[in-house]
Amino acid sequence: MVTIANEIKVEVKERGQFRPLKLLKNRWFLYALSLAGFIYLWHWTAERRVFGGGLPLPWDVLVQLGKLTVDPLAGKNLFEHTWASTRRILIGFAIGSSIAVPLGLFMALNKYANAIVKPIFDLLKPMPPIAWISISILWFGIEETPKVFIIVIGTVVPCLLNAYNGVRLVEPQLYDVVKMLGGTRKDEIIQVCFPAAFPAIFAGLQISLSIAWTCVIAAELVAARSGLGFVTLQGMTLSRPAMTVAGMIAIAVAAWLTTLLVSGLERIVCPWKRGLENV
Amino acid sequence: MPYEEVRVRVPIGLRILSVAALGAFLLGWELVVRLDVVPSTMLASPSQVMGLFAIKLTDPQPDGAVLHVHIWTSIQEAFTGYFLSLLVGIPLGLLMGWFVVAEGLFRPVFELIRPIPPIAWIPLTIFWFGIGLAGKVFIIWVAGLVPCVINSYVGVKMTNPTLIQMARTYGASDWQIFIKICVPSALPMVFGALQISLAYCWTNLVGAELLAADTGLGYLITMGRRLARPDLVILGMLMVGLTGAVIGVMIDYVERRLLAGIRR
Repeated sequence: MVTIANEIKVEVKERGQFRPLKLLKNRWFLYALSLAGFIYLWHWTAERRVFGGGLPLPWDVLVQLGKLTVDPLAGKNLFEHTWASTRRILIGFAIGSSIAVPLGLFMALNKYANAIVKPIFDLLKPMPPIAWISISILWFGIEETPKVFIIVIGTVVPCLLNAYNGVRLVEPQLYDVVKMLGGTRKDEIIQVCFPAAFPAIFAGLQISLSIAWTCVIAAELVAARSGLGFVTLQGMTLSRPAMTVAGMIAIAVAAWLTTLLVSGLERIVCPWKRGLENV
Repeated sequence: MPYEEVRVRVPIGLRILSVAALGAFLLGWELVVRLDVVPSTMLASPSQVMGLFAIKLTDPQPDGAVLHVHIWTSIQEAFTGYFLSLLVGIPLGLLMGWFVVAEGLFRPVFELIRPIPPIAWIPLTIFWFGIGLAGKVFIIWVAGLVPCVINSYVGVKMTNPTLIQMARTYGASDWQIFIKICVPSALPMVFGALQISLAYCWTNLVGAELLAADTGLGYLITMGRRLARPDLVILGMLMVGLTGAVIGVMIDYVERRLLAGIRR
């Protein structure tokens, strides 16, 4: 018995003569070249003062990053600021997605719910979440609540749309199979709708997450005393571009980590999507 | 869409339900304000907003410009950034999809910049460009660039390999394959990027204007907040939504006309 899964592939690597042109086809060499080139270009531009001192040297940014982790800015070091932003996102994201995903699924499964909610949702949908910042400050002041509120608004739209479309775009043949095997409406929903909609729901969560980061940074730029948006803004007000860039780097890292978190969750919750990745 | 669209007629009962829900929503909103459930510094009723809309068409008070000036400024900024991002993003994505050297050189830098929300560039751009048009266009450019590059890249990567092998068999050069096969087959994805990227640009425009501007819809919203005039804020939000929706419909129309032959 020979199964495909146990097949052993033998790859013979031939080591030809070293030629410099071949290096240009090597992915890793190019990546390294690209990063080195980027940092060199950055250094060069900063040294020539193309932006009139508005662009810090890469080294200064590193030093500033190190300093921020030790010296507190407005009573908080870099990790605490990162946590302040991340906490807002996690709270808003949790609230928003736990409202939007069930509502989207319910709307897709029940035409009456759809008829009631859809027109109101369509009215609110085209307004960018950032446009809500001002009204949320009028409503909730400048504490934590307005920031979480904006994140909730930003999260709801893509989550709801994706959950809704995820169910509606399920292949009709799958329903026919369930019916043919004598399944009830409940079986249809649990066995077909949910598993088929999960990949779309998770895609919606990923989109919401990046929108949530945009929202929280925007909200912190407008009014805050903590968070990474505040750090970048402080860099501007104190006229220290190195601090601004350090804040941006911290944002990039934190945003990237939360994205990893959601895709890790996706791998656990719906393993059947793995085959669809790597497109 | 691979299949022909089938229009299903919505039953009349459901339609009435939709209209009733929308009506109830607006009526509830109106009543909440009229009956002083929430203070007038927090929320304005739909009728007040409509009234203000009519006034703002001619009266530049209290924010210094009439409504269509705000809208026009925003559209100008958004579209300048948008077209620049298309101009850079689409060729970059296409090249990255096909040529190993282009991918190797640009991808790491792109991956570094991608997770930063465009809004986070605002303080740095104020350092670089001040608070004029250039800074806002730069932020919108960054916002629009990411979806353009990703979609064009994925579009090329998804080219049917059989076609590429066929072209190789007939002795086509790398460049010929790229131009004759990869680019046309990536077009639907590229057109998808037009919509997504515009939506991103429009969202981030409001963000850019919230911080530094003297006209534009985002500025209108900010002024509304500073003056504690919720009717101004809501008018600005509605105009942002409405203008965005209208532009989206227009792009959709253009896309459908241009892609008539490709997408069946």
